[in-house]
Amino acid sequence: MHVVYPAVISALLFSVGVYGVLARRNAILVLMSVELMLNAVNLNLVAFDVWLRDQLHGGQVLTLFVIVIAAAEVGLGLAIVLAVFRTRRTVDVDRLRDLAEPDFPQPSPNGQAKVRESS
Amino acid sequence: MITIAALIVLLPFLGAAGGLLLSRVGGGPISARAGVPTRAIWFAILPTAGSALLTVWLAVQAAKGDGTGAFWDSWFPAEASGQLTVVDTGAVPISVGLAVTGLSVLVGILVVVVALGVQVYSVGYLHGDSRYPSYSAFISLFTSAMLLVVYSGDLLVLYVGWEVMGLCSYLLIGHWWEEKANSRSAVKAFLVTRLGDVGFLFGIFTLGMAAKSFRISDILAAQLPTATVVTATLLLLAGVAGKSAQVPLHTWLPDAMAGPTPISALIHAATMVAAGIFIVARLYPLFLAAQPTRDVLAVSAALGMLGAALAALAQDDLKRVLAYSTISQLAYMAAALAAGSDEAAIFHLTTHGAFKALLFLCAGAVIHHVGSNLMSRMGGLRAAMPLTFVTMTIGFAALMGLPPASGFFSKDAVIAAVEHARLTDAAQLLLYASALVTVGVTGAYATRAWLRTFFGPTQVEALPEPEPGTAHVFDGREAPPSMLWPIGILAIPALALGWTSVVELDLGSAAIDLVIALLGAGVVYAFWRSAPTRDPARLLGPFYGPCARAFYLDTVYAMVFVRPVLWLAQGVVHTDATLVDGAVRGSGRATLGLSRFVRLAQNGNAQLYVTGLLAGVLLIAVGAVVLG
Amino acid sequence: MNWLLIALLAVPGLGTLALLAGRPSTQTPAPATAASQIEQPPSPALAEPPAPGTEPTPSPALAESPAPVTEPTPSPSLVAAPASGIEPTPSSARASDRSRAATRIGLVTSGLTLVLSIVLAAVFDYGSAGRMQLETNLAWIPGLDLRFHLGVDGISLPLVVLTALLTFLCFGYLAGQTTPRPRALAFALLVLEIGMIGTFLALDLLLFFVFFEVVLIPMYFVIAIWGGHDRRAAAIKFILYTLLGSAVLLLGLLVIYAQTGTLDMVQLAARHGAGIARTPQILAFLAIGLGLAVKTPMWPLHTWLPDAHTEAPTVGSVLLAGVLLKMGTYGFARIAIPVLPEGAAALAPWLGAFAVIGIIYGSLACLAQRDLKRMIAYSSVGHMGFVLLGFATLTPVGINAALFANIAHGLITGLLFFLAGAIKERYGTADMTALGGGMLARLPHLGSLLTFACIASLGLPGLAGFWGEMLALLGAYQPGAGQSRPLFLVFMVCGGIGTVLTAAYFLVMLSRVTHGRPDETLAVGVDVRPFELAAWVPLVALTLVFGLWPKGLLSLTAPAVHLILGVGP
Repeated sequence: MHVVYPAVISALLFSVGVYGVLARRNAILVLMSVELMLNAVNLNLVAFDVWLRDQLHGGQVLTLFVIVIAAAEVGLGLAIVLAVFRTRRTVDVDRLRDLAEPDFPQPSPNGQAKVRESS
Repeated sequence: MITIAALIVLLPFLGAAGGLLLSRVGGGPISARAGVPTRAIWFAILPTAGSALLTVWLAVQAAKGDGTGAFWDSWFPAEASGQLTVVDTGAVPISVGLAVTGLSVLVGILVVVVALGVQVYSVGYLHGDSRYPSYSAFISLFTSAMLLVVYSGDLLVLYVGWEVMGLCSYLLIGHWWEEKANSRSAVKAFLVTRLGDVGFLFGIFTLGMAAKSFRISDILAAQLPTATVVTATLLLLAGVAGKSAQVPLHTWLPDAMAGPTPISALIHAATMVAAGIFIVARLYPLFLAAQPTRDVLAVSAALGMLGAALAALAQDDLKRVLAYSTISQLAYMAAALAAGSDEAAIFHLTTHGAFKALLFLCAGAVIHHVGSNLMSRMGGLRAAMPLTFVTMTIGFAALMGLPPASGFFSKDAVIAAVEHARLTDAAQLLLYASALVTVGVTGAYATRAWLRTFFGPTQVEALPEPEPGTAHVFDGREAPPSMLWPIGILAIPALALGWTSVVELDLGSAAIDLVIALLGAGVVYAFWRSAPTRDPARLLGPFYGPCARAFYLDTVYAMVFVRPVLWLAQGVVHTDATLVDGAVRGSGRATLGLSRFVRLAQNGNAQLYVTGLLAGVLLIAVGAVVLG
Repeated sequence: MNWLLIALLAVPGLGTLALLAGRPSTQTPAPATAASQIEQPPSPALAEPPAPGTEPTPSPALAESPAPVTEPTPSPSLVAAPASGIEPTPSSARASDRSRAATRIGLVTSGLTLVLSIVLAAVFDYGSAGRMQLETNLAWIPGLDLRFHLGVDGISLPLVVLTALLTFLCFGYLAGQTTPRPRALAFALLVLEIGMIGTFLALDLLLFFVFFEVVLIPMYFVIAIWGGHDRRAAAIKFILYTLLGSAVLLLGLLVIYAQTGTLDMVQLAARHGAGIARTPQILAFLAIGLGLAVKTPMWPLHTWLPDAHTEAPTVGSVLLAGVLLKMGTYGFARIAIPVLPEGAAALAPWLGAFAVIGIIYGSLACLAQRDLKRMIAYSSVGHMGFVLLGFATLTPVGINAALFANIAHGLITGLLFFLAGAIKERYGTADMTALGGGMLARLPHLGSLLTFACIASLGLPGLAGFWGEMLALLGAYQPGAGQSRPLFLVFMVCGGIGTVLTAAYFLVMLSRVTHGRPDETLAVGVDVRPFELAAWVPLVALTLVFGLWPKGLLSLTAPAVHLILGVGP
């Protein structure tokens, strides 16, 4: 099998992931999109490992690493999402804007507008 | 000899330090008679008396030998100088040293005699004043500073004494500082003289840098280019005009009468104002070499003597009459200096120091008795204060230039010098005419003051309470002995100093002066005779107003200098707040404003950030491909 | 003998350690609350009460605070301060006990430093005051060729003694009072002392810079914590302004390093600019001059000064005026002029022009001030103008004048700020109209001392303030070679007018405050107290001594100045 097929598939997968990260509002779906991107990378790694006939199989090793890290990351991410949901009753990333500069009045989950005085 | 001179200078200084620091420590007894701490009296009088004794000794030492030149050189031919150390400044060094010359011995005698008289007189005058210790200490400090000026061998050391005198003058004029008016007068006196002193300092720089030394003897010996000498003497003249109350810096002196009367006598009649004349005489070879300077001095003196005499004629405050008369008489001395006769100037300075101090002390006694400075509240005091009457009559006679009082001889010497002055013709003519007219006006105002004080109906109402800012009311008939003694003693030189005949009497000129003076006196007497209760100054007619206000010079100065400076000050504060600090705060605000644009992007949406990241990566990738 | 200079720096350092070690347990009440007071009060929606047992989140103030730069272990109580002087004291008796203990440590330490500085003055070889003495030269960062190089000569010796004296007097003044957070204040003042003395001793450009910067941080806290009503704004302005100046200063120092390859001031000064071309010299002088001018301060870079002085506590004002301003002018004498003579010659007219503008401008600003402390602050602008004018003349007499005026200003303005602080403490205000006048009647000793200080400050001959100003004008009369004489004559005349204006504002102030009838309804408390007198009398005495015996200082500085300018005496 020519390497271009898995490469194209992984590119498509990655693009789907990017779109998901950029456009989805649900935090869980954003997390899943991140997983998609990681798996696109994994696919690439395995494919090129075979294609290059790597003696040490670095691609495969790295893939295992990525899988482990992705699992850990999902665990942590889901825990955060869960905690956010518990306090805010929402996982809509559009409404989780506590990082914003304080000039803009932000809607908060309990309906109050928080305005911090500018420093 | 130089050690003695140093001691003469230092003793009053130590007295001042002791009086300021020690006279109240641990309570100490209060003198029952004077109502002030006894220790303060000792601190005041003993050092000055010591200085006076040492001065006598110094004079005896200096009188040995033969000398030629001006009369002081033939009296006190022995000279000495010595220096303690030389201060390296990086340019011309300052030599901390003293120099005893005939002139300094002569003026030194005048200073210590007047200072001692004033210290004694003040004990009675400031009866019960709680601030007597500081007051007498300031007089001691003043005495020390004046003696430093007199004996200094270096111009910058002289300048130290010169300025310290100004400070003491400030402190003493402001002695009754409860009244804001007194405080203002004190500030005015200090600032006006300081303005002149800046010029004086620059004059010292010019001389010192040109002669490569600040020592007076070196400067007098140096061959300086004429332009330098003229510049330097003109600059020195500014300081002289400030200290000696000459036009145009004379306006502080009448206001300085807000101080206690002994201060007016000591500082503002006999000694401090004489410092300016003294310094010109001390550096006289320079002034002789600078004719333009003497022309300027002549014009200033001509304006000053007549203007001040006219102003004196229209004053109601006895002390202000004397103050304007001081300006006028100092202008005579300046005129003599301008005319080229330092002998006449110093002669008049000496006699004037005696008779003006006498007049002021008498005026103090009168004011003490009446409780007011105003002549309209006086009159008929002849019977009540016989001794004061006699002595003050001597003083006025000397002031008018009537024989046999001292003023007759010295004033004649001045006018004779002016008659033969070596000046440009216009300046000489102006000066001579002004001097003659002023003789008449002097006769007029002296007669007026004498008549209004001692003759006519009695108008005295003894005030029950002392008015702050004026003298303390004394309900006895005549002043206390501590005040009468100095008056009596001063009357002797005021009467007799003229017979020393240090300067040849020019009989023709003297006769003219006498006639003019008597003419002025006669006119005033005629006016007064017609209505003894009314002010003879009404003879001035429409000029009374301008004369009484001293030709509105104060108003003009306030409009030309004081207000613009205050206005500028407000402007500076405004500029500082809006422009200079505004720029600082503006730069801060501008930074914050710029940051507002940047943080528009930071809206808290993480996805937007990631989009930005992606766009950036793409941009770099495209750039790498295209440019690489 | 080189332990002496190290000891001068080490003693205050040991003092700070003693303060840290002697930290009482009662003084750690929840750093979070204290820290949050320095930052914005947290909004209720965000303020989640921390679970018991968890560490409180460090506030940004702690994280960003530059204090760790100076001291590895800053006490949280120093960094985080109560916002409005409210000290969480259990009981006032205990507080005053703690205050005593802390100030006593400070008093002893600064007293020891003063003794050391006097020993330094005693062992100093006055015969060769121009030479660097007691040099200490240790390797510091060998990779960068940085050396821990200290030394003292006729220029720095008076400043070191002045610093030690003023710090000691400040502690003496504090010992008679109770202040909030005394330990932190003592700590800050001791760190300040290290920085100030180090600046005057340093002979390595970068070491100089480090000490120069060390001073800023404690002064920031002194203003920001113990200051008046608007202290935070004043402190921020102070630190931003001076840090900006320091950045420019560092640039200039690096230009010198890039050109010559050495940071050793003694070597650089001995070269008299050899090895640096004209343009880099001008650029470096401009950068260094700007950095120092901010600190001096020179018009128009002065606006941090009135705010800082007005808001700073008394001891802060005293040290700020007495020593900190001198660091700027010391830099001119030690670095800018000897190392960059051509740059100095090129920019001297500008320096002189800004100096005389500062003199006139400062005096005029004083005339219209209502606040006593603000007025004294502006008067500093005028007086430092004379110092800068002295430097600008580039003559031995001018630089002598500048160094003399430096010391005189430190003594006199230090005294003035002590007095202004005492007045503010008694009347509760420093506003001249609110003071109402008549101080000589109500508080005669305080009024007399104020009169003395003002008269000294207006440059009366016979007191220390005169000689500096007079010699600066004398220098301007005959400026250094290559300078335009007419221009400097104009400067001299302006300076002369400035002295009249100086007299005017001081006398008007005295007339308003000390003269007149007192307002009997005001409660003003007692006259001068013994501990205040003890703190002030040395300053009065030294003002008199240097005024009557200027040779004492001039003979110290003159040889060094001749060396700086490379001209024979």
